[in-house]
Amino acid sequence: MLDLLGNGIVTVLQLKYMVPLLIGTFAGVIGGALPGFTITLTVIVILPFTYGLDPLAGLAAMTGVYVGGSTGGLITACLIGIPGTPSAIATTFDGFPMARNGQPGRAIWLGVWASVWGGLLGALFLVFLTGPLAAIALEFGPWEYFALFVLAMAMVAGLAEASLLKGLISTAIGLLITVIGTDPIASVPRFTFGSDFIGGGFPFLPVLIGIFAFAQIMTDIEKLKGPQARAPGIANATFERFSHLKVNWEIFKQPFLLLWSTIVGLIIGILPAIGGSASSVMAYDQAKKFSKTPELFGKGHPEGIIASEASNNANVSGSLMTIMAFGIPGDAVTAVMLGAMTIHGIQSGPLFVSQNPGLAYGIYGAYILAHPLMLVMCWAFMPIMIRITNVRLAVLAPVIMVLCIMGAYALNNTMQSVYVLLIFGVVGYGLVKAGFPLAPLILGLILGDQIEINLIRAIMTDGNLWLFLTRPISGGLLAAAALSVALAIWQHLRHQKRTAGEEDPDF
Amino acid sequence: MRLGRDGIAGLIGLAVSLFLLPFAFGLPRLPIVPIGPGFYPALVLTFMAAMCALLVLQDVVAQRRSKPAASDTPAGPKRAYELVAGAFAVVAVYIFLMPLLGFRIATALFVAAFQLVLERPASPRQWALLAALAVGTSALTHLVFERYLSVLLPRGTWTGW
Repeated sequence: MLDLLGNGIVTVLQLKYMVPLLIGTFAGVIGGALPGFTITLTVIVILPFTYGLDPLAGLAAMTGVYVGGSTGGLITACLIGIPGTPSAIATTFDGFPMARNGQPGRAIWLGVWASVWGGLLGALFLVFLTGPLAAIALEFGPWEYFALFVLAMAMVAGLAEASLLKGLISTAIGLLITVIGTDPIASVPRFTFGSDFIGGGFPFLPVLIGIFAFAQIMTDIEKLKGPQARAPGIANATFERFSHLKVNWEIFKQPFLLLWSTIVGLIIGILPAIGGSASSVMAYDQAKKFSKTPELFGKGHPEGIIASEASNNANVSGSLMTIMAFGIPGDAVTAVMLGAMTIHGIQSGPLFVSQNPGLAYGIYGAYILAHPLMLVMCWAFMPIMIRITNVRLAVLAPVIMVLCIMGAYALNNTMQSVYVLLIFGVVGYGLVKAGFPLAPLILGLILGDQIEINLIRAIMTDGNLWLFLTRPISGGLLAAAALSVALAIWQHLRHQKRTAGEEDPDF
Repeated sequence: MRLGRDGIAGLIGLAVSLFLLPFAFGLPRLPIVPIGPGFYPALVLTFMAAMCALLVLQDVVAQRRSKPAASDTPAGPKRAYELVAGAFAVVAVYIFLMPLLGFRIATALFVAAFQLVLERPASPRQWALLAALAVGTSALTHLVFERYLSVLLPRGTWTGW
């Protein structure tokens, strides 16, 4: 295994992989640092550039975006108190107060170093646990896969903050989009109404780009005339003198904090589509509970920054683990990666590592190398990156739009994909305005075909529907799905009581 | 009976599901597949219809319980929906014109128009920046995609360019 990992790292060190990884990491840090410009949007922007590349080069670029973006969010979180990405939300709690207390350099670099160590610790789990997880997944039959996908969707729908019902409807819309076109077993056309345009169904990536990118950009445009558009600038931020050695000592003098935050991030990453924001908040909460000085949290305590940042980078390794072992995206970023893998004819899932060891260990290598690269880039280009984060939306939005449209067009060099993009752009924005969460829809969109195929395979193998409940793993997973929905209902009732009268969030 | 945002959304979802359900039940059954191509879509649509109906019901109950909003209730953050409508219109025109004008011309026009919709330049320097970004984005994406990534971008049927 270590030989393969060494080969993977050496492969990625070649220029043809290193350049995409470098560009991806740089773009990720900037995309992560720009408030309102999420990691998912950055990976969507990078996507069209990866079509013509070697699969590993394309995936290396996306891995770079993912790692860079998870760290980039802390820059604005510390300097202006607005997280660049949702995964940096808990970093604002202590990063911003520390920066306001005259230590912006210490705040940012504590976060950057914690991200690096958390991410690299997460890499250990990624390398050594993906195989055993895939071995478990190999034991799965169609009943277990069906149950696993149902569990994934139940968990994601349950996370919709405003309403569980809307989360479930959003999931159903995602599933419904996948049934349009020909059915996967007998190629019977469904809901096509004789149209050639939708005869083959809707291609996944244009739908995803349309729904996600339009919803994101248009929601940002809405705020252009509001007070949110005039966030304080950070272009002239200056850092105090500080020691990197001392910053690292602050991290390593509490190894349990680093390790536990990493494990929390990893576990949340493995669970489908929960995402970095939950992991950073949960790790922050845990750090506060275990701390000897909990009263200092929220006032610029280094432990808060370390917990949040170590956790959100470890979350990336957890998400990669899920996609590689089970073929289920851990979040929207890995959903785009899954789409990119499909374009290159690569099937992720339990056989992925054993059938594509070069590619799998290349991804591990890219993930590991992205951390020191990100560190060097933050050290060398921080002033430039801070300047870029001040670019106005009026300048950024049209360029992003062109790249999104290119992402759809370059998929098969036809305008049809671009029309699909526009249609689903309108749908995505409409859903956001109606208060529907997009994460369950995206998961439904990704898993829809697989759910149907596994359901039919299970019934074709044995017509006894009770097998879904009586087979131990399948029954356990379905019970967990039911429990997840019940828990979500209980949490929503509690949440509604607490937040009655508050305005709904955009996403 | 008053309906809020959720109720209207639920009704739309319910209408779509009920419209599609008969088509799902009408799909042919095949001897080799025990459950047929209509089984799974019917399952999804039934689930969606049930959830949408519950959403409508939940909204009706919520609307009955809620008191009418007081006139001095503070307004939410200001949203520039006219900019969103303008942005969607510019994107739609861009996509419509791309096969007619070709990628290069359409993209340059689109980037310029999109910037104009979002923020009108106030000085000659800003106008120059707008033009440079429009031409630069078009030229650079064309160069990268056609030269280096082998993506054949649309040529205009009107312009041939």
